Amino acid sequence: MSLTQHSSSSPPSTCQNDVDCAFGSEPDSYQTMSVLGQCCGDVGQVYLAIYKPLDTPIALKKFNMDKAKDELENIQNEIILTRQLRHPNVVVINAAFVMESHVCVVSPLMAFGSCRDLLNRHFSDGLPELAIAYILKDILYALDYIHKKGYIHRAVRASHILINENGQAVLSGLRYACRVVKNGRWQRNVHSFPPTTARNLNWLSPELLEQNLQGYNEKSDMYSLGVTACELANGMAPFQDHPPTLMLTEKVRGFAPVLLDCTTCPQYADTGQQNPNTAFTQADSGVGDSVESNGNSLEGGTLATRRLTDHFHRFSELCLQRDPENRPTAGQLILHSFFKLPRRMNAPPLPQLLHPVIPLTKEVIDCQNNQDYYAVADRLSDLEINSCEWDF
Amino acid sequence: MGSERAEEHIVLAYSDEEVLDDEEGGSRIFDDLEPASWINDEDTDVPIFHRVDSDQIIYEAKKKRCKMIGKYVMGDLLGEGSYGKVKEVLDSETLCRRAVKILKKRKLRRIPNGEQNVQREITLLKKLRHRNVIGLLDVLVNDEKEKMYLVMEFCVGGLQDMLESTPQKRFPLWQAHGYFCQLMDGLQYLHSQRIIHKDIKPGNLLLTLSGILKISDLGVAEALDFFAEDDTCFTGQGSPAFQPPEIANGHEKFLGFKVDIWSSGVTLYNITTGLYPFEGDNIFRLFENIAKGEYTIPDEIENPLRDLLHGMLQKDAVKRFTLQQIRQHPWFWRKPPQTLEQVPVPPLRGDELHNMTVLPYLMDYHYVEDPTSVQPQYYTEHERNAWAEGQNPERYGFEWQEPVNNIRSKEGSPKKYPDEMGYGSPDTHQTEESGESTSDSSKRKSKRKTTSCISVKKFPPCKQS
Repeated sequence: MSLTQHSSSSPPSTCQNDVDCAFGSEPDSYQTMSVLGQCCGDVGQVYLAIYKPLDTPIALKKFNMDKAKDELENIQNEIILTRQLRHPNVVVINAAFVMESHVCVVSPLMAFGSCRDLLNRHFSDGLPELAIAYILKDILYALDYIHKKGYIHRAVRASHILINENGQAVLSGLRYACRVVKNGRWQRNVHSFPPTTARNLNWLSPELLEQNLQGYNEKSDMYSLGVTACELANGMAPFQDHPPTLMLTEKVRGFAPVLLDCTTCPQYADTGQQNPNTAFTQADSGVGDSVESNGNSLEGGTLATRRLTDHFHRFSELCLQRDPENRPTAGQLILHSFFKLPRRMNAPPLPQLLHPVIPLTKEVIDCQNNQDYYAVADRLSDLEINSCEWDF
Repeated sequence: MGSERAEEHIVLAYSDEEVLDDEEGGSRIFDDLEPASWINDEDTDVPIFHRVDSDQIIYEAKKKRCKMIGKYVMGDLLGEGSYGKVKEVLDSETLCRRAVKILKKRKLRRIPNGEQNVQREITLLKKLRHRNVIGLLDVLVNDEKEKMYLVMEFCVGGLQDMLESTPQKRFPLWQAHGYFCQLMDGLQYLHSQRIIHKDIKPGNLLLTLSGILKISDLGVAEALDFFAEDDTCFTGQGSPAFQPPEIANGHEKFLGFKVDIWSSGVTLYNITTGLYPFEGDNIFRLFENIAKGEYTIPDEIENPLRDLLHGMLQKDAVKRFTLQQIRQHPWFWRKPPQTLEQVPVPPLRGDELHNMTVLPYLMDYHYVEDPTSVQPQYYTEHERNAWAEGQNPERYGFEWQEPVNNIRSKEGSPKKYPDEMGYGSPDTHQTEESGESTSDSSKRKSKRKTTSCISVKKFPPCKQS
């Protein structure tokens, strides 16, 4: 099944079926165009490239093995694991090969980039709620699949969610995943602390961070999904300005991030007193301070005055419960009322919700007609691309 | 720093008796002491202590002052050896639990070859990297205090502690088999690196949270010279009960790899039977018995294992099994059926889950702005025992579990999505804020709780789940 199975416009350059799409492993067949972003710190770089034999734009991820060190094992795991998985919402690796001191991984081009890109470049106050519903539902399908395959993802975050041309969300970042099956037995809990995970700490569940004999299981990913929901809605990642140790104590004490809107922002609560319970909880957890410290995004009032649906609030709260036992599984959450919103509200498909973002493919194809690759490359490098995280 | 230890000490005691105020040991002496055996040991006619009810003994909680060594936050004591202490630490950047071996130069000088052994251990560990050999991640030195800190992988416990926690001092065969296989993997790696451990014993085999066995303590290990023809060694400093006949006999030189095979054989014997193949009232008797090489294996040990033990405990080092022979042995490659219950890692200071001991220090660091403003916190022996017995509900000094429980009881099954879920209901509110007015016994928690909430400087957009 292809990533682009729902493609309606069927652009000539994308593969309809990755089984037919035999990507070669000859480095010469790939022409790199421009840098799309970085991943894995400075170990990997993601390029827009053209696979010459098929004249297809693809994403080429190059890992510098000289710099890899501790990441080496992760990169290896990622390639092996990803090639074993096949799901429309899980990233695909079309080919992997070695070029000089680099390991190169070929994946389909994700026209909208990662959700982190979208937040950084276009939606600093968060994505529209309906867009989030689309995205998270796809990611839940991916998690449900991965969990049933016996893996825990351990790095669910916006930069690991990529969106293709058709608005389908795809989960990547599988290099941090770990196996639940050990010696042929399905473990109830695992205890391993993901190595080189410093960048993902803010998204990890309290039980994973606690590293005690209780261990954690696939419900840990549901917590990360909750944190990601807040990231997508608020524009910034929770605990962003916190030292890791404070983030840890906060999570262990049971404080979880919230979706910011008029029901959860204290300014409103102070005057309105609409929901005393909420107001209390928020004041107690010190959101007031954070609002001041993150002043500009909230002062404009976009976050503090908007109103997110109760469905969304309930969804994030379910994911962010302290006790993993209480968190629903991915399969259960797919049925949550939050994901019925787009249909109920007759929402347009995701690409339209993301307007005015122009997916990368179109540009490339347009210019491809002009036979002017290099102009694209130039234009792309003007796009302030260094700031973005294509961490797939 | 005097308050390093995370133990409590007694400040008040009922009646006029000076109960105990030991600087170093503190209440740990009480921990180890079973009141019943104490009384029975005494001449009952002449009681020394009046009977003191456990809720009449009052402790003051030791302040958890956060202390950092480099990027590591110090936690509580994990173990103690002649060289110094082993404490838990937390890497403040990766939040990964670690253990730190603290070496005091003053103490090391008093141990024969102390400083050399440490130096050797560091050089060896630095170049080793294997799943079943303890990893050394960092070495820090404080010249002023004459201390050295070896940051290692975190382990929850050792095989020795686990054995001692069971009545029969042994593991079920399937469990022992798992450890033995990992021991052989680690040993094969060490030998491939031309390193002879020389001190293989259950006490030096540690377990990580995931149950991975780590060979540790390379203090007396020897790295063979690069140009050495074979594995001939001249010195042995390991633990007596695990030494092979050639060392017990005082041979001038012996085959190094076979020393580790013998000690592994004694280890396997010990963890499967709960006994030692050789014993003696003193080291001379012990060595005499080892030198004879005569031992019996209990009848309950059946054949493939029996044969393996005989092969590993061959008096003649040349005839003794090699690693290859062990790996090809039928007992090695057939996993015994998992019939008996697994022996768990025993609790540490009453904590079965072996929670991070660094957390209370971090709580203090992040939430208590002015340390002097915190009232001393008192609790009774009775409460202490209750915490130790129960699931240690107050392990962080915070009541975070309560709201969670509230949710659970209200929610019922996770499939339901009740409206109020997650938001502080009036009940939660009550328990949170009315803490101040509750009874004395809960003073400690409520005090902590309130101070902590007021004084946090930076807060995330967060709520209580």
